[in-house]
Amino acid sequence: MYSIKDVRVVYGSQLILSIDELLFESAKKYGIIGENGSGKTTLLKVISQWLVPTHGNVTGFNKVDVGYMPQKPFIFSISVLNNVLIALEGVSDAEQRAFSALEKVGLNGLAKRRADRLSGGEMQRLSLARMIAKPRQVLLLDEPSSATDIRGTDQIEKILDAYCAETRCTLIMTTHSPAQALRMVDEVIYLEDGQMVEHGPADQVIRHTDNPKTLAFLQHWHI
Amino acid sequence: MEFIRTALNLLFGANPELRQIIGVTLRMSMFSTLISALLGIPIGVWVGGNEFKLKGWVTRLMNTLMGIPPVVGGLVVYLLLSRSGPLGSLKLLYTVTAMVIAQVILITPIIASMTANVVSIRANSIRETCHGLGIGNHQRMRLMLAEFRVPFISIVLAGFGRAIAEVGAIQMVGGNIQFKTRVMTTAIMMQSNMGHFELAVALGVVLLLISFAINSFVYRLQKGWQRV
Repeated sequence: MYSIKDVRVVYGSQLILSIDELLFESAKKYGIIGENGSGKTTLLKVISQWLVPTHGNVTGFNKVDVGYMPQKPFIFSISVLNNVLIALEGVSDAEQRAFSALEKVGLNGLAKRRADRLSGGEMQRLSLARMIAKPRQVLLLDEPSSATDIRGTDQIEKILDAYCAETRCTLIMTTHSPAQALRMVDEVIYLEDGQMVEHGPADQVIRHTDNPKTLAFLQHWHI
Repeated sequence: MEFIRTALNLLFGANPELRQIIGVTLRMSMFSTLISALLGIPIGVWVGGNEFKLKGWVTRLMNTLMGIPPVVGGLVVYLLLSRSGPLGSLKLLYTVTAMVIAQVILITPIIASMTANVVSIRANSIRETCHGLGIGNHQRMRLMLAEFRVPFISIVLAGFGRAIAEVGAIQMVGGNIQFKTRVMTTAIMMQSNMGHFELAVALGVVLLLISFAINSFVYRLQKGWQRV
């Protein structure tokens, strides 16, 4: 069980994020949804401990192997294969694992190509390959399919489904698409202006909510 | 156009003094650039690639040292190495080593500051990605050194340009001694002071040709690395 309690993030005099309590169970998949600027990315940064909150506690995540993929991950100007190998330093069968991860994301044919010359979608899949090259207990992904087309999105969703089933990791991802959350996750957290409006099973929050704020957000989506 | 003929005669003729001057110039410039790069690049990567409490102060200090007047740098080294100075027992004054020390003091802040500027543009994204992948500080430093290899060449080249063109500090600590510490710039200054302007300009052309040859070689190297 992982938790965040009384978390506040303040930039200058502006309150960016305010969450009283949020619990995450092991081996479950969570989707953080909300409009741009609602605090999705900030929440994920706090959970990943990249951002230290102004106030509050994040517990449990520091004791396990957490993988965190930012919205715009940095791709090093080395080969595609070496970009995966950097995440596997000290691992005995690193090359084999790297090739396996690249195969899963469909980039094994480009292993020797310079990674900074890939397309946006390919870079996103490469970033995902770096994440899944080894088993992790928690996977934090900030809009993992934002740079891909429909086919690429479908591919990424399948890769993540398979990885989570195989490793039984806890997945926490942000997405601007409620439809994607419905397809991928067990529970949804809806944020608005840095506050948690609703948290519950994905089907309940997205299809059967009676919360007026959630309904107002969902009316823009044809689900 | 007489000076061009003189320059070509100097460059391809059998003038032993000029060959010695070119040798000392290249040796001093290359050594001081190499040492400055070995010191300045890691310092720059560390300062530009990390967030720490005194970063603002360190950055301002590096930028200030970038503009240190060569004669001031030369004076500091002179005072350190003179017979009555704290390092006088080493008997390094009026040697090429003293000139290299003075150059390193002048060039290291330039390389460190330029490196920090280049690295800081993408440092946050790299640090966040490395944090997410569980990559430690040492591996991140290595990755940054490799990532910015192409701009680092330009930075080192700027340092070399400063080294080969320097005159004030090396005149002070090297003494412009014939067949020992005389380099192209001090030779040009001496010829100018003696009124031998044609020879001074010819030496200047030789200096430019050497600099151009080195820049062309490094440019090809840089292009090659960009293609890999």
